[in-house]
Amino acid sequence: MDGSSSGIQEPFDLIRLSLSERVFVKLRGDREMTGILHAYDGHMNLILSDVEETIMIVNEGEQATVSVAKRKMDMLFVRGDGVILVSPPSRT
Amino acid sequence: MSFFGFEERTLERGRDRRLGQNEDLAVYTWGEENHDGLGDALQEDHDDLNDETFGEVGEVGKDFDFSNPTLLDRNDYARSANTRVEDKHPQSCMIAFSSLNPISTPLTLESIWDDKSLFSMRLNSANRTPSSSLLPRGESPAISSQHRQQSGIRTVQEIEAEMRASADHSRQEALLQHRQQQYYLEQRMQQQQQKQRDEEELLLRQEEEREFQRQRLLFQQEQAQLQRLQQQQQLLQQREQHQHRRTPPPRMLPVSQSPRFMEHQQRQILILQQQQEQQQLFRLQQLQEQLRVEELERQLRSQHISSVPPDRQPSGPTLADMEALQHQQLQQQFRQRSQSPAARPGPHRPAPLENSIPYLPQNLQLQQRLLSEMAQAELLREMQEGLQVEAMRKILEAEKMEEKRRKKAAKIAHMASLFFFWISRYNDLMTQSDKDFITRIQVSQLVSQDPYADDFYAQVYGAIVRSRMGLSADDERVLKFGSSGGVALGAPTKGGNRRPNAMQRMQQQVERIVSNARKREEEKGLHSLHSLQGALGKTSGRSYKAAPRQLLQVDPNIAPSSSPTLSHAQPHAHISKVDSITKSSNVAAANAARMGRETLNIGDNASSQLNSKLLSSGDLVYMEPLTQREILVTLENMYDLVLSVEQLRRDQPHPEEGEEILEQWSKDFDSLVDQMWTLLKVMLPLATSTPHPFISLLSAAKGKKILPRVTRHFDQQRMNTLLTLLIACFSQLDVISHAALLDTLEDTPKRADVERQTQAFLSSVLQSILPIIVKGNLRLVCGLVGLLIHGQDIIAIAQSRPGLALLTLFLTRVEVIKQGEVDEIPTQDDFAQWQLMFDHLFQLLTPEFPLLFPSTRMATHLPRDQPHINIPGIDSLDQPVWQFLAALALQASSTQHQILVSSLREKVLDNVLSAKKGWVVDEEERTTKLANVDLFLHALGLDSSQITM
Repeated sequence: MDGSSSGIQEPFDLIRLSLSERVFVKLRGDREMTGILHAYDGHMNLILSDVEETIMIVNEGEQATVSVAKRKMDMLFVRGDGVILVSPPSRT
Repeated sequence: MSFFGFEERTLERGRDRRLGQNEDLAVYTWGEENHDGLGDALQEDHDDLNDETFGEVGEVGKDFDFSNPTLLDRNDYARSANTRVEDKHPQSCMIAFSSLNPISTPLTLESIWDDKSLFSMRLNSANRTPSSSLLPRGESPAISSQHRQQSGIRTVQEIEAEMRASADHSRQEALLQHRQQQYYLEQRMQQQQQKQRDEEELLLRQEEEREFQRQRLLFQQEQAQLQRLQQQQQLLQQREQHQHRRTPPPRMLPVSQSPRFMEHQQRQILILQQQQEQQQLFRLQQLQEQLRVEELERQLRSQHISSVPPDRQPSGPTLADMEALQHQQLQQQFRQRSQSPAARPGPHRPAPLENSIPYLPQNLQLQQRLLSEMAQAELLREMQEGLQVEAMRKILEAEKMEEKRRKKAAKIAHMASLFFFWISRYNDLMTQSDKDFITRIQVSQLVSQDPYADDFYAQVYGAIVRSRMGLSADDERVLKFGSSGGVALGAPTKGGNRRPNAMQRMQQQVERIVSNARKREEEKGLHSLHSLQGALGKTSGRSYKAAPRQLLQVDPNIAPSSSPTLSHAQPHAHISKVDSITKSSNVAAANAARMGRETLNIGDNASSQLNSKLLSSGDLVYMEPLTQREILVTLENMYDLVLSVEQLRRDQPHPEEGEEILEQWSKDFDSLVDQMWTLLKVMLPLATSTPHPFISLLSAAKGKKILPRVTRHFDQQRMNTLLTLLIACFSQLDVISHAALLDTLEDTPKRADVERQTQAFLSSVLQSILPIIVKGNLRLVCGLVGLLIHGQDIIAIAQSRPGLALLTLFLTRVEVIKQGEVDEIPTQDDFAQWQLMFDHLFQLLTPEFPLLFPSTRMATHLPRDQPHINIPGIDSLDQPVWQFLAALALQASSTQHQILVSSLREKVLDNVLSAKKGWVVDEEERTTKLANVDLFLHALGLDSSQITM
């Protein structure tokens, strides 16, 4: 299938394909999250449900270590200016 | 109101006299019996000061003047002849104070004195004389002559006669006045002041007398100089008056040496006092009484007053007083500063005057009254020309009104100009076409190709609200323009008449604008699409070549011809490129066509058709299973189609709209439905891929969710085909293949996902096929069960919630058929075939009965040492299994019952034991356990209570 037949004409079409699917979102501030995408707009504002957010916390010190904090939310509005990447979750 | 012991006189009486009932006012009757004695009541003590002013030095004379001395009379002339030397200094200094010619009209006080305005007007009018105040003395003959012309009411001869008469009685009057003053003062003043004042009065009286004599002398002198001098005098007086009017609020100032000043000051204080004590009525009475007595004196003193043109009459005595007060104040200030020797009185006078200052309030009242009466008397004299005066008064009033009105109008105009300054500044900056242009832009933002979809949620909500309110639900709140545009109006608003009206107006307006815009668009014709081309100027041919070669050939005009409501203007419409997808599916066109022909008859002999389908793998075109991305793309296309179809259904024309429209509509609709059917890939051969493309589409949650929305547009045949395919490929479904994950206890994201998918399948997919199964006949059910058994892992299916639900559905349907509650009575062959199928199913499931329970399966994952751990909600998970077993038991023979009971004895006993021994968390769990068991046992004709531990 070429691009036109698969309906991909602009980047947002790729995101559209992921509607109501689980997506992986990388955010500024060393944050990542996965959740089911319910809506998005041109600013990449996202609405996600069943979100698990992963926050990388770099501990300053002699030996910089990275600790990971996670939290879960049922429903989340993600402001688009923090979004770096949206992708389908890696399938194993 | 004989306040001071004098005869009480009414206001009316005084007024009558003033109004000239007795025309012969020039005849003075001092001391005679018919004399009204007004003068007796006169409080003369302050007139002494007047005498001082006018009598002592001729220069000071009568230039205390509250009125406009424009009248050409001899008294004036005589006085001015005396004053011309000494007046010079103070008045020229006063010029410095005056800069403007203000108009002060305390109109609020007017009403009090309305009736007596005739005499008070005299005083006032002097102050109101405009212009010339800034002019030096004698330098504006033009203006002064103007004043003369204005004052042409009385002839010189008349004035002369009056003057003569008054001169005769001057001495007599002065004496009388003195007596009265003393008497009055005794009553009113404190004893300490009495002596001083007496002295003062005496002095004043002497001066007065002297002045009278002098005036009389001067009267016959210097006729040639009369005019010029009078002009000068007038000018100076006017200047003074205008200056004085501009002074700050009244205040008590140090003593002035000028008698004239004193008089003014006293008067000022008096005014204040009177106003505070509200003694105006009383004063009026007194004034009237004194009026007649004082006529002569007043005449002499206020010749200039009488010369005021009647048409410039002011409003009332209070007004006059106020202005005089201001006048006086300014003069006072002036005196303080200048200390002019000319302004200084004689050496004998200052002391008593200064002493009397602190007691002014009482003293001044008298003087004030005297002054007022002077004006009044003069007015009475003018009553000789009563008619003329009346007419003049009317004219004056009219003029005053006119002036007021003009002023008001000017003020309003001024205010208005200020008020509208900013607004008017930008008025009419925009032309009508500018405004129209902006309106068009705004409206064009409102108009959309698919107003209903743009306003979807509001529309649906509105429909719900309307249906709740019992209104017709087909009223869309959408404003349509022809076939391709409209404005969404949102949900209906409740109540209020204004909103609907505004809405209607807006509708009309928008409709008009849009139709205009469309007309314009049509005029542009085909060029409309490229109307903006070259709008920014032509690009050179060179730049075209220099531009990078276009790798992607994207034609924005590609749109599904059958979905007019969804154009390329919509952001995602290009995904709905059904054409290309149709093309791709045409790869298997031959196969699909053949298979389609076969499946059309599936309703009659399901199993044979399906068998032929399954066996028709000879010319099968094998394909790779759909990739995840292909699934998603297809689903997006499907959503677009579904939305189009749903919109088309809403746009379904009424039958009366015409045959062609209806035909066209159904053609469009069928076309869309065909596209959906093709897109679902149901017609692909079963063995095309594993999983089947249709099953792959159902692997996504949104694929499951869209199925009910798709299938409701399919007819029975297509639904049968779809159901057959689904059952035939049931074990390929993700919810079946991943069902084992649900039996695990740990909470992983994957398990959550499977749970989500399972819920979606149960609520969406099964819901969409439920109507067909419920309506299906025994042969169909039999065929479907056969499909489920053949070649598929029935155990895995049965151990999944969707599979178990499906099996339960089949069994229930058969039971319903067996109850005879259907139209189509199945044949004996059908029953036989079903029995075969059921036995086979039962046989397959028998070893797995305990494992059908999620609780049992979960228990295998539990640690060995604690197999009886309680899993929350496990009983509700088991419930569908009990239901299935009950349904199975209903169909089963007695032999099969035995097998069932023996297989499930342990499970039943376990549950009953838990419930009865209290191995439960709460009462609810116990009830659930028992209910579950009973569900099954009742199907066997047993009950949990029969079981004894």
